[in-house]
Amino acid sequence: MAIKLPIYMDYHATTPADPRVVEAMIPYFTEHFGNAASRNHPFGWEAEEAVEKARKQVADLIGANAKEIVFTSGATESDNLAIKGVAEMYREKGNHIITAVTEHKAVIDTCKRLEKEGYRVTYLPVQKDGRISLDELKAAISDKTILITIMAANNEIGVLQPIAEIGAIAKEKGILFHTDAVQMVGKVPFNVNDLKVDMASLSAHKIYGPKGVGALYVRRRNPRVLLAPIIDGGGHERGMRSGTLNVTGIVGFGKAAELCRQEMASESERLRKLRDYLNDKLHKNLDEIYVNGSVEHRLPHNLNISFAYVEGESLLMGINDVAVSSGSACTSASLEPSYVLKALGAGDDLAHSSIRFGLGRWTTKEEVDYVADKLTHVVTRLREMSPLYDAVANRRTLRTWRIRARSSITTRTRAMSARCQKTTSTSARASSARRSAATS
Amino acid sequence: MKLQVKVNPDTGVIDDAKFKTFGCGSAIASSSLATEWLKGKTVDQALAIKNTEIVAELSLPPVKIHCSVLAEDAIKAAIADYKKKQVAEGKTAEKQPQPTA
Repeated sequence: MAIKLPIYMDYHATTPADPRVVEAMIPYFTEHFGNAASRNHPFGWEAEEAVEKARKQVADLIGANAKEIVFTSGATESDNLAIKGVAEMYREKGNHIITAVTEHKAVIDTCKRLEKEGYRVTYLPVQKDGRISLDELKAAISDKTILITIMAANNEIGVLQPIAEIGAIAKEKGILFHTDAVQMVGKVPFNVNDLKVDMASLSAHKIYGPKGVGALYVRRRNPRVLLAPIIDGGGHERGMRSGTLNVTGIVGFGKAAELCRQEMASESERLRKLRDYLNDKLHKNLDEIYVNGSVEHRLPHNLNISFAYVEGESLLMGINDVAVSSGSACTSASLEPSYVLKALGAGDDLAHSSIRFGLGRWTTKEEVDYVADKLTHVVTRLREMSPLYDAVANRRTLRTWRIRARSSITTRTRAMSARCQKTTSTSARASSARRSAATS
Repeated sequence: MKLQVKVNPDTGVIDDAKFKTFGCGSAIASSSLATEWLKGKTVDQALAIKNTEIVAELSLPPVKIHCSVLAEDAIKAAIADYKKKQVAEGKTAEKQPQPTA
């Protein structure tokens, strides 16, 4: 089967909408265009009915009651609403929030904002495998703690936090527990009651739905969570989130959730096999590569690997027909490497060398083979021109060198220069340089 | 970034130049361009290569300017190393790799 290039392997960033989702949405753009808040005519009723159906579909995916779903513009808004909403509503009870250093920026920056307003935030460190320590969580809890917010699965390394255990601790201490479940929901089973989660942020576009729509699960019973709204207006969504509902987006979200619920088991098994195949193949072909984060507690479709002695951005340029992302500083404007990888204690070098692979619904074995072969080729080529890999390779073959050096003192120089020659002639990056050499 | 130059002992012209770089695409391109420009230049002409010329040739964005600075520094360090070895050892045609960054 011919492979269509470029290959998309960045399913953590976003996913294409499933055609079945788009099909479900289309009538709500033109035919059933009503405002779900219009209570006095059929146009409004139709829209409201569609929204309520989707609310049930989303709730079913996470084992919630439909009334516990608040639709938002996306997970960033959901995170903001959960954290700021609790902070304001429970201010009299306390002013302490616990989160982790590897959280998404939507959580970390929201917490930083609250710190400026006088709240106290504990950012829990993570262990080498990317998971927080439950003992450290317990130790951080005080009688002023009102909220624990820990993500379910990390967006960079796919590591699953011990959500059920955190939920149990929070419940025992009577503290509310919010989780950013964007990467986990729809991929592996996630049940708000089993996990004792009080609030969960969800996003449609990570589960083959449309962009611009998300939800916050807000527990209504045992305990009933109260939130101060961050957007004021017409009192939509039980007063928690005002603003005309994005009916088409919500319909798509509902359909996407339903498809995930039906197909999750087989899909995640298929992706787990493909991911393991990719990992095995890369390990077979290349030395000095390291998986970042726990392999055991991990999303089935995620792989995050550091290719030592090769810089991430140059690697991305080398595999320019494969869409993946890197923790390299060079891909960001800030020149800071991934804070998530640094939190694992990876060291700047390995953080710079990392690539995140996100497999998804339309990833094929042929694509995985192509990516593995291409990476092997590019990593090998870049290592040939990496002075760091050179040093290691030399150290490893020091004995050999010594023996050869005795027979011929120039062997090393010649070998090195031959290798450089090859590097230059095959380098895509050198082509612009060659062009300039021709003109100068 | 590692830069090696091979200088003709009679003419003082750089016959060949090689690089090894750990870094982003811009850093690799800058060092590759530097080796291309070095070939055929005399040692003193080589010292006249400016990082701004590399920036212009490769159309580097502002965030990647430091990559071109690395390349200029590598050229300067390689030439300095060559001159030092000339003084120390007399006429040496080939010089050893010079780590600069």
